[in-house]
Amino acid sequence: MEPAIQVESIEYAYGDKKAVRGISFEVAPGEVLGFLGPNGAGKSTTIKMLTGQLVPAAGEIHILGLPVRGHSSEVHARMGVSFEEKNLYPQLSAVENLRFFARLFGVNKPNIDGLLEQVDLLARKKDRVSSYSKGMRQRLMIARALINDPAVLFLDEPTDGLDPVSAQAIRRIIRDRAKAGCAVLLTTHDMNEADKLSDRVAFINDGTIHAIDSPENLKLLHGTRSLAVRVRRDGKAEDLHLPLDGDGDIGARLKAAVERADILTMHTEEASLEDIFIAMTGRGL
Amino acid sequence: MKAKRPSRPAIVLAILRKDLLQFSRDRLYMILSIAGLILFTSAFWLIPPTVEDFAVVGIAHSGLGPLEEALEEEAEGGLKIVRFPDGDSLRRVMAKEAQAWSDQAGRLLILDRDDRAARPKGGRREKPVIGLDFSPGFLEDIASGVVPELRIYVNNDTPAEIQGAMTSMVRELAYMMAGQAMPVSEPPEDTIILGVDRSGSQLPMRDRMRPLLVFFVLMVETFALSSLISVEILHRTVVAVTATPARTGDVLIAKIIFGALLAFVQALILLLATGSFAAGNPLILLLAAISGALMFAGIAMAVGSMGRDFMGTLAWTMTVILPFAIPAITALFPGSAPLWVRFVPSWGIIQILNTTANYGGTWADAGSHFAVVLAWVAALLGIGLWTLSRKVARL
Repeated sequence: MEPAIQVESIEYAYGDKKAVRGISFEVAPGEVLGFLGPNGAGKSTTIKMLTGQLVPAAGEIHILGLPVRGHSSEVHARMGVSFEEKNLYPQLSAVENLRFFARLFGVNKPNIDGLLEQVDLLARKKDRVSSYSKGMRQRLMIARALINDPAVLFLDEPTDGLDPVSAQAIRRIIRDRAKAGCAVLLTTHDMNEADKLSDRVAFINDGTIHAIDSPENLKLLHGTRSLAVRVRRDGKAEDLHLPLDGDGDIGARLKAAVERADILTMHTEEASLEDIFIAMTGRGL
Repeated sequence: MKAKRPSRPAIVLAILRKDLLQFSRDRLYMILSIAGLILFTSAFWLIPPTVEDFAVVGIAHSGLGPLEEALEEEAEGGLKIVRFPDGDSLRRVMAKEAQAWSDQAGRLLILDRDDRAARPKGGRREKPVIGLDFSPGFLEDIASGVVPELRIYVNNDTPAEIQGAMTSMVRELAYMMAGQAMPVSEPPEDTIILGVDRSGSQLPMRDRMRPLLVFFVLMVETFALSSLISVEILHRTVVAVTATPARTGDVLIAKIIFGALLAFVQALILLLATGSFAAGNPLILLLAAISGALMFAGIAMAVGSMGRDFMGTLAWTMTVILPFAIPAITALFPGSAPLWVRFVPSWGIIQILNTTANYGGTWADAGSHFAVVLAWVAALLGIGLWTLSRKVARL
């Protein structure tokens, strides 16, 4: 199957400072790729190149088989973008904002009410965006990114500023789109979100990709598992962490550890993406 | 929700519709645009359509007979003599301590400034620009070779040239009455008028105001468009637009069309409301209005890209636009404008509006101005497009 997003060795520099240094990756149709990295890692610059706002100094980008350079209109017609900044028209209502973008995409009968219902804004559809909260604007950004039923979706911090219920609704929309065959590239510095949403994640730092794989594989390859046991010994609670990987019989080690103690709780622990990111890049998110 | 690739005109039209909607939501500029049109049109019709092409001279002491006649004759109808009963009343009127009113019977009344009740019904206020208080026996003194006394009263409304001219005229008449020849001779032919002879057809202030009012309308719309552009940049909405099939070029074309249309429609309404199309060639006036609208759209795109916030945009617009008012202000006053004013881009448009609407100018009169105006329009639109496209690319 032809990748929906194909990036080969792209580079970009702001003056003397190289922001992106030879990044390559692919996203298949129906796949969600999480782009993880701290501020200034090169995430936004990469997204800007993918969406045609910046022209790479080197390398090639193909979206749905078309090179972005020279085919921006065709490529843009099939992509949806939710920017990190809430760049909506504040003097217009939600309906007017969506209708305008539908016209730009040539969508004759946009299902504006349906989209607004999905992001729980139907009741406020005629209110000016200037009266919306940060979370409401974010939800409208997602609705706008979906107005043309895109085949490729770029989402920059899609759940930023959302309450847990709204964030869950947005995650559900993203998963549904992916199931329908839409390739999704999302940037975030929320490891939990990336873990829950992404089929694969890419760790980006200093303009290069340090690792790209499924969250499970990254954890298996680069993390360590352990058993967390809370015991009561001599009337005091005590936490024990027993590595599951490595030599030795875990059963015997557990038996030795909890001897002459009452087990209060016991569960397995696996490395978080954040732990792995820090271990690989030497830098936190 | 199936999409059909939109054509470029369809995209530009979509942006235009959005701009119009956005503009209609901007209460400040909507009010300014409508109120401006009403205010400028009202100002035009409230200014008197007549020209007072004579100066009122107050004279104290009667019995000057031949001297008064000579004064009127000398001025060839350009003077109106008002006779005051005495020197003190003339002094008080010139000092604005009292007012002089003529009643319907032609009598002159000297009234206290605040005594409104005493003002004659249907009377007319006489406002001399200069007062001449001749000493008693002025003529006799001249005849007998005694140096007579003449007091000249002026106030802060008296133009310096009137003061100088009247003093010279009285001196000249005194020479004449004393039977002495002036030490200068006039050539036998009439006054040689260089340029167009406007004597007897001076423009009322109302008509002189026309170009300035058109400029004001264009200025308000420049503020509106620059604000619209600046909001688009500050909120980075233009980035979202260019992430669709719309290109930066579509945004620029839409801004030119919207800005020029906005300004042109307002200028058109003002020209219609002030009866300008009846006064001059409508086609020339229309072309001048379109040129002005395009010129100011270019300026709005440039300044709209420069502002970092509302106040910044306002400051940039004011700074750039105010020098453009100078040619319109010079049109208010008679005489030639300084040479440097002709290099202000709005000069040509003001000249076309002025000569066409006020003096019946033709294509021949407007042609050379249009050549310069079109060059300025191309230059300013170019600057506006370049500035805005660079700004969008850097967002």
